[in-house]
Amino acid sequence: MSTEAPPGDFHPRTAAARGLASCHSCGKVQPVTQQRCGRCDAKLHLRKPDSLQRTWALTVAAAILYIPANVYPVMRADRLGGAEENTILSGVVLFWEHKAYPIAIVVFTASVLIPILKLLAIVTLCLAARRCRRPRAMTRIYRMTELVGRWSMVDVFVVAILVAVVQLGSLMSIQPGPAALAFAGVVITTMLAAMSFDPRLLWDAAQDAPQHHE
Amino acid sequence: MACHDCDALFRAPQLHEGDSIVCPHCAAKLSTHRPHGIRRAAAFSLSAASFFVVANIFPFIELKAGGQISRIVLAESVSALNQHGSPGLAAAVAIFILGAPSLMIVGMLYLMLPLQFGRRLPGAIGVCRAVFGTDTWNMIEVFLLGVLVSLLKLGDIATVTLGISFWAFACLIVCLIAAVASIDKHELWNQLEEARG
Ligand SMILES: [Zn+2]
Ligand SMILES: [Zn+2]
Repeated sequence: MSTEAPPGDFHPRTAAARGLASCHSCGKVQPVTQQRCGRCDAKLHLRKPDSLQRTWALTVAAAILYIPANVYPVMRADRLGGAEENTILSGVVLFWEHKAYPIAIVVFTASVLIPILKLLAIVTLCLAARRCRRPRAMTRIYRMTELVGRWSMVDVFVVAILVAVVQLGSLMSIQPGPAALAFAGVVITTMLAAMSFDPRLLWDAAQDAPQHHE
Repeated sequence: MACHDCDALFRAPQLHEGDSIVCPHCAAKLSTHRPHGIRRAAAFSLSAASFFVVANIFPFIELKAGGQISRIVLAESVSALNQHGSPGLAAAVAIFILGAPSLMIVGMLYLMLPLQFGRRLPGAIGVCRAVFGTDTWNMIEVFLLGVLVSLLKLGDIATVTLGISFWAFACLIVCLIAAVASIDKHELWNQLEEARG
């Protein structure tokens, strides 16, 4: 902590290079040899422990869950005339057919586009953490990934609300389908995957690799 | 201090109100100086708490179709999932819309009310870690989007009326977002460290 990195210096000393760890809970910078944060008692690490292995494992789990989440119905509507099952994609198509284009686009983005892009983004980040030419762009992707993931949960909440409110006896009732839980699982595991990724690995990889001006 | 994104190490500068510390290396925004943040956060948390109570007491949505009326309170969106054979989903939704926000509100009040006077209550450090750890899992604003999508889905088959609870829930979202936005994590930890036990 004795020197100050002047702005614009592209090779600052990292905290880790000096054996200092910033607490991942409260941010206080202290020697990693202390093992626990002097302020909040969280465990100190130079980098998140086993970051890449954990992120890979959670990403694979999310990708596997993604299949039942899209194949099975998220809900079933029992009407007088019979039952009707809806998958995530058929829900979007239904909005589109009813000419409710804005809402079809919102639901498509939250339920289909964001999960897929998020999985791809995390894979890209994991690969970049080995050899990274463009840490700045990658860090931007990381921040986006952390930010948007939660919005995918919207379809799960739609199921929760419809199941609760559409209980009109023999007229119509809605039951949750197996895909709803699988889809919630996809969102939770991708959120955990993004949380266990350590963006500082990108900058470590960039410093090891031959320098390349962006 | 060190950047949480790229681990660049530098000395934290002196700031005026509204100034931000930006990482000189990767341009991550690390901290913004907010001298009145704690008082604001306390006020917003108090309002959030009252809206949370209101949101859970009154009817949330009412649905009319073919002479039948179905009216639910907020918590029934959880209990209905449980009744209809999806306890796992019920638990997840309960955490996202009831557990996490209530923990955040209570935690913020526990931290902010005494901290205005430079005091901290026993266990405040642990509470602070819990509040920031819970933040990600608080999905009330996503739930609100879910309500809007559901309304559009129901539009064809029934008449839907939004209850008092819905509007309280919307206010709760605004207050909780404002409360979180008015505190700076970096400064909060420093103030907690200096506060008298
Ligand atoms: Zn700490
Ligand atoms: Zn940085």
